[in-house]
Amino acid sequence: MTLNQRFPLSDAIEVDKLVEELRAEPVGGRLRVGDPRVVEFLTKFARKLLAPATARRFPELASLGFFLRKGEIAKALSTLETSGDALRFPRGLVFHVPPANVDTIFVYSWALSALAGNHNVVRVSSRSAGAAETVLEALNAALSEVDADTAAAITATQRMITYDRSDAISGALSVAADLRVIWGGDASVAALRKYPLAPHARDLTFPDRSSFAVASVRGWHEASETERRGAAEGFYNDSYWFDQAACSSPRAVFWVGDEAGAREAGQEFRKLLAEVLAKKQHVTEPAMAVQKRVSAYGAAVDGLVNGIEFQGNGIVTLELADPAILPREWLGAGTFANARVDTLSDLVPIVLRKDQTVGQFGFSKEELTQFVTELAGRGVDRVVPFGSALTFSAIWDGYDLLTEFSRLVTVQA
Amino acid sequence: MSVFTLSQAEREKSLLPQLAELTAHHRENSEGYDRILSSLGIARDAAFASIADLPWLPVRMFKTHDLRSIPESEIFKTLTSSGTTGAGASRIYLDKAAAGAQTKQLGATLQEVLGGERLPMLMVDTIGIIKNRRSFSARGAGVLGMANFGRKHTYVLDENDEPDVEAVKTFLATYGDKPFLIFGFTFMVWQYLYEVAREHKLDLSNGILIHSGGWKKLIDRAVDNTEFRRRFKEDTGLTRIHNYYGMIEQIGTVFLEGPSGNSLYCPDFADVVIRNPETWEEQPVGEPGVIEVVSTLPHSYPGHVLLTEDLGVYNGIDDGDWPGKHFSVMGRLPKAEARGCSDTFQGAAA
Repeated sequence: MTLNQRFPLSDAIEVDKLVEELRAEPVGGRLRVGDPRVVEFLTKFARKLLAPATARRFPELASLGFFLRKGEIAKALSTLETSGDALRFPRGLVFHVPPANVDTIFVYSWALSALAGNHNVVRVSSRSAGAAETVLEALNAALSEVDADTAAAITATQRMITYDRSDAISGALSVAADLRVIWGGDASVAALRKYPLAPHARDLTFPDRSSFAVASVRGWHEASETERRGAAEGFYNDSYWFDQAACSSPRAVFWVGDEAGAREAGQEFRKLLAEVLAKKQHVTEPAMAVQKRVSAYGAAVDGLVNGIEFQGNGIVTLELADPAILPREWLGAGTFANARVDTLSDLVPIVLRKDQTVGQFGFSKEELTQFVTELAGRGVDRVVPFGSALTFSAIWDGYDLLTEFSRLVTVQA
Repeated sequence: MSVFTLSQAEREKSLLPQLAELTAHHRENSEGYDRILSSLGIARDAAFASIADLPWLPVRMFKTHDLRSIPESEIFKTLTSSGTTGAGASRIYLDKAAAGAQTKQLGATLQEVLGGERLPMLMVDTIGIIKNRRSFSARGAGVLGMANFGRKHTYVLDENDEPDVEAVKTFLATYGDKPFLIFGFTFMVWQYLYEVAREHKLDLSNGILIHSGGWKKLIDRAVDNTEFRRRFKEDTGLTRIHNYYGMIEQIGTVFLEGPSGNSLYCPDFADVVIRNPETWEEQPVGEPGVIEVVSTLPHSYPGHVLLTEDLGVYNGIDDGDWPGKHFSVMGRLPKAEARGCSDTFQGAAA
């Protein structure tokens, strides 16, 4: 029943003891929403992530560091200002179960919850490597750069732990939590829901999602050479950073416009994308190349696609037989379903609740707003330009996270 | 009738028309296969300039999809194998003719090293592996398939998977002074036969060993093919050792190690193409790549040209024990892993 404490780095601890420590009031008084001690710690931590050596090695950590800069934090907190009779308070103890294979999500989830003044226990995957290890090092290092009282308050209230599968530990942390945050898809949600919560507590779940991209044929025609190259570069980052397996990475591309224009634009776009892959010296491992063939051929057997085009091992384009039937599962890093529709409205009936991010190129704000309005909530949580699909934001999967991580108390005299 | 006779040029000439015809046959009779080739833009009347030009399927397709060129009513046997990838089992459908052909051609291949008559046979396995005939493990299918080529079968392992030294001694006392056949999976042959034979000073010098199944477990013990052969020779007198490479997805086709060892040869109805995993072009001799196996046997399912997930290298062409290409298997491709939002492994969260 013991678990390892990765941040603050400390001896293994029994789960009951951990819960008891986390329930205690910290030195210097309870944490508040936007607590200056948390803000100070986060900004010190962000600076470490933005250090050139770290940012070069893990570009995703630079994005994280940017997200946690002082100005950004202040901006996020300003959205929480209440009016009238309401006062905002932390929820209490939050148990986070982040995904094992996106190294940075756990930090976003935790940092926003800490900003809301919660005590947090984060289960970091024992399989985590690379960026996650660097994050934990930076957190521990930041602790020695804040004043002693701040360090004591952070140590008392914030824990990142690892443990091997254990009903006892997951059960104890679940029943102790005021809020449980489950990332990592349907399987993780189902696995964690086996453990009861306290009656007043609730889950915030992030199930399996999928995403697609839309590109305007007209917008492509009107774009400059530089803008087109920028689109390919942005699309590369959206897709290849996490082997296209991130839920926000596009799995399909819909060209919106006339047939001849769509064909021409698509070909040019893929040529530019191939140039980006070459420039970034992108390598497709042989096993991944085989995996992509298996997926592509399988889609053909299933009748989903009627054309398969390879540009080296890096880019596989699957021409959809029917735009309405798009693959939403992962098909291998750099495998894109491709289809054409006349208007964005044609995509409305295709969208499911599972669809999260729509990456877009070449549309006006009005066109996109019109599209989302027509969707009327059937699906899609965010529409972002090419290159921003993986940019985390405090509003995620339809939730305003800081709001979810806090609660309101109303006072009437 | 040896099936190790064709030079590479003769093989191209003899096999290419047969394989092109098979490609057309499978397009005609397997809608899924036809959809793949059509999606790739390969015309129905496409001509192929060489064996290496033929379109290949990743062997894993048979784990993810049912591909067959016979109607359900003609299925005589369904072979299933669970691969090492854990991606489910391959399903291979044989009609009566295909089942007959694969047994016949496996026999013809092994005859090269066993001669014409059935030999007394030592099975380096337990009889339990073939007891349950309704569900074959790949190992059980291998043991059962090989059993046909011997007689007077003696199993080296008892029901508890413990070496039955007395049974082996009795077998050797009865049949050990004339040629006899030994069959098993490489790792088990090493662990149960070699170690027991060395310990009990058994004489295996009249044995002919046929073995298969990869070296992964033995590499940890610092035993490669050369070492395997050397130790068997020195400690048991066994010198006629033939490793073979084959898979359930191309049942009946085995690539057999030649008498001088350390190289696998293609029977006359099969071929091999080593491909560069970047360009998918054929590799020259000495350059490692992904192994593609080619065989004229698969009539009932489109498995005549398959890209495996193994790495290999040509050791030479028309310059070895037997004519044609000869090659070595170097191991498996590492698994493709992706990062992502979903935890795909079991019990990630609990």
